[in-house]
Amino acid sequence: MIDSTRQQMETQVLNHYLPATAYRFMDIGTSQPYLMMGMLTNSGKTYTIRIDLAHFPESVPEVYVTKMLYTKQGTAMDSPSASMHTLSSKYGFTRICHYGSNSWSPRVSLYKIFIKCRLWVEIYELHLKTGRPMDYYLNHQS
Amino acid sequence: MDTSLHAPDAAELPIVYIDGEDLRRFLASGVTEQTGYSYSWEGEGVTHLHLHPLRHAFGSTGSVLFCRQAPAEVVADYAVEVAADGTARLLIAADDSWHEHPAMLIPAQSELFSRSKGILEVGALAGKRVMIVGLGSFGSQIAIELAKAGVGSFALMDFDRVELHNLMRHTCVANELGRLKTDAIADAILGKNPYAEVDRYPVNINRHPDLMLSEVERADIVICATDNNESRFNLSRTLVEAGKPGIFGRAVTRAEGGDVFIYRPGEACYSCLIGTGMFRQGEEEITDEASARRDGRIASYMSAADADAVVQVGLSADIEPICNMMVKLTLVELSRGLDTGIASLEDELVYNYYIWANRRERRHANWSAMPNAGAKPTIMRWYGAHIATDPSCTICGMGSLDLGAVDEDMALLQEIQALNASTLDDNTDDSTEQ
Repeated sequence: MIDSTRQQMETQVLNHYLPATAYRFMDIGTSQPYLMMGMLTNSGKTYTIRIDLAHFPESVPEVYVTKMLYTKQGTAMDSPSASMHTLSSKYGFTRICHYGSNSWSPRVSLYKIFIKCRLWVEIYELHLKTGRPMDYYLNHQS
Repeated sequence: MDTSLHAPDAAELPIVYIDGEDLRRFLASGVTEQTGYSYSWEGEGVTHLHLHPLRHAFGSTGSVLFCRQAPAEVVADYAVEVAADGTARLLIAADDSWHEHPAMLIPAQSELFSRSKGILEVGALAGKRVMIVGLGSFGSQIAIELAKAGVGSFALMDFDRVELHNLMRHTCVANELGRLKTDAIADAILGKNPYAEVDRYPVNINRHPDLMLSEVERADIVICATDNNESRFNLSRTLVEAGKPGIFGRAVTRAEGGDVFIYRPGEACYSCLIGTGMFRQGEEEITDEASARRDGRIASYMSAADADAVVQVGLSADIEPICNMMVKLTLVELSRGLDTGIASLEDELVYNYYIWANRRERRHANWSAMPNAGAKPTIMRWYGAHIATDPSCTICGMGSLDLGAVDEDMALLQEIQALNASTLDDNTDDSTEQ
C-alpha cells in the first residue's frame, strides 16, 4: 500500500506536470486508498480516472474510467478484451489495461500511468470515430 | 539411554522403533503409566512407538503403554517398560500375553545430525530461523534441504494446496493431494528433523503486511520462492525495512535456466536488480495458469488455448541446481563467522546475483557449447555478478520515480492527438459513448 513517503514523491512529480486541481488522493490511511485524476481530451471531453492504490507500488494498480464506456458498436466495455485493452470492470466502471505485470516495477510513477491512461482515452475517442479496434493504434505490453 | 536395544536380525519381524526423546519425556513426567500411539506401515512389519500422536499418514495405528512396569493384563498392542536409568524394554501383545521383543531407538536430537559434524555447525543452525515464502517446487525442496542441514526453526507461508500439476516437481506425493502446502511441508521437515519448530501460515502474504514484517524480523534469513512479483517487491521492501538478508530465485522459460539474487543489508535490493539489463522479468517460467492469471502474468482476456501454450513447465532436474544454489547461499549466510567446513564458501559466493543455464536456448542461445567453451559462458555453470545499489531506487536508495519513457509516451500521445484531430467521424449515427 502506498506510504506517506511515496505519496510525497508522487505528489512532487504530479505537481511538476499537472495543476494541483487535476488530481486528488482519496481515502489515504484506509485499506482502499485511490487517486482520482481529471483529464480533458483534445476533443474537449472530460474524463475522470480512478487509480486504486491498495497494492501500489508492489503490483500494477487497477485503473478505471469512472463510468461505463461503450464501443462504437454499442457494446459495454465491461469485460476483458485484448483488442480494446480492457479488463473486467468494477464499480460499474470500465477498467483500462495499462501495464503488463511483466513490465511492472515499483518505481513506475503514477504520472506515467496517467500518461498511459491519457493515451488510452485519446485512442478510445479515435475508435469511436473510425470503428477500428484500439489495438490497431496501441501495442500490447508484456 | 539404553544402547543395548540393538537392531533385530532381518528375519525377526516386526521391526519396532521407540522414540528416544519420548522415553526421556516419560521419565521426566513422573507418572507411572501413559498411553501412547503405535504407527505401523501396513504389510511391512515396521512399527514406530510414540507418546504423542503424529501427523504422518501411516498405514494403521494402535496403542502403546509407556510404563514403569507392564501390567499382567494385556491392555495395549505394545508396552514399553522404562527403567529409572532410561533403559527400556519392549513387550508386544500376542495371544493375550506380553512377549519381549528387541527394538531400536529413533535418535535423539543430539544424534540426528552426527554425519554433518565438521561440515556444518549443526548446533548453531538449530537456533536459526528461516522464513520461506512460497512452497512450490522451489520452496518445498529448499525447506527440506535446510531441515536436513540442521536448521531448527521455520516460518512457512503459502496459501495453496497440493494439486496434481504440482506433483512432478514437488516434494509432495500423490497421497498428499489437497493438503495445504504449509501442512505437507511442515510434516516433511518434521520427518527429517522431529525437533524442528515449524510455524505454518496458509495466507497470501501480500494481504498481511504486519505478519510479513513480524516474521521477517524473527527470521535470520528469508527465502522468496514465489512466482509473482508483488510478493517479491513486498518482501524486498520488508527486508530493507527490517535489515534482514533474503534470497530470491526463479527459473526462466521452461527452466532453460534461472537466476538467484541475494539481498544483504546495505547492498543492492531486489528492486535495484529490476531494470538492470541482466534481469528480464518477462522471461519468468509460468508453471500454473490459475496463479499466473491471478497475478496478471497471463492477461485475463487470453483464451484458455493461448494460456495453455504459455504455461511451460521445465524439468524437476532443471530447477534442482537453482534450488541447491539457494540452499548453499542460505547456509553460508547462516554460518557466517562460524568455524565450519563451508566457511571457505564465504570467499567464493561473494556476488549478489547468479545466473545458470540448463540448455542453450532463447536467452542462452548464443552461449558456447560446453566442449571447448573455455572462458566463454556455457551451460551448467554458475556465473556471479555484482549488482550495485541503485541510488535512485525507491526501496533502498534516495528514491526517485521512473519517468524514463514519459517522453516517448508523450510523443505517441501527440501523434494520436494529431491523428484524432485529422480523422473525421466515419459514421456519425452510432457514436455511442454514454
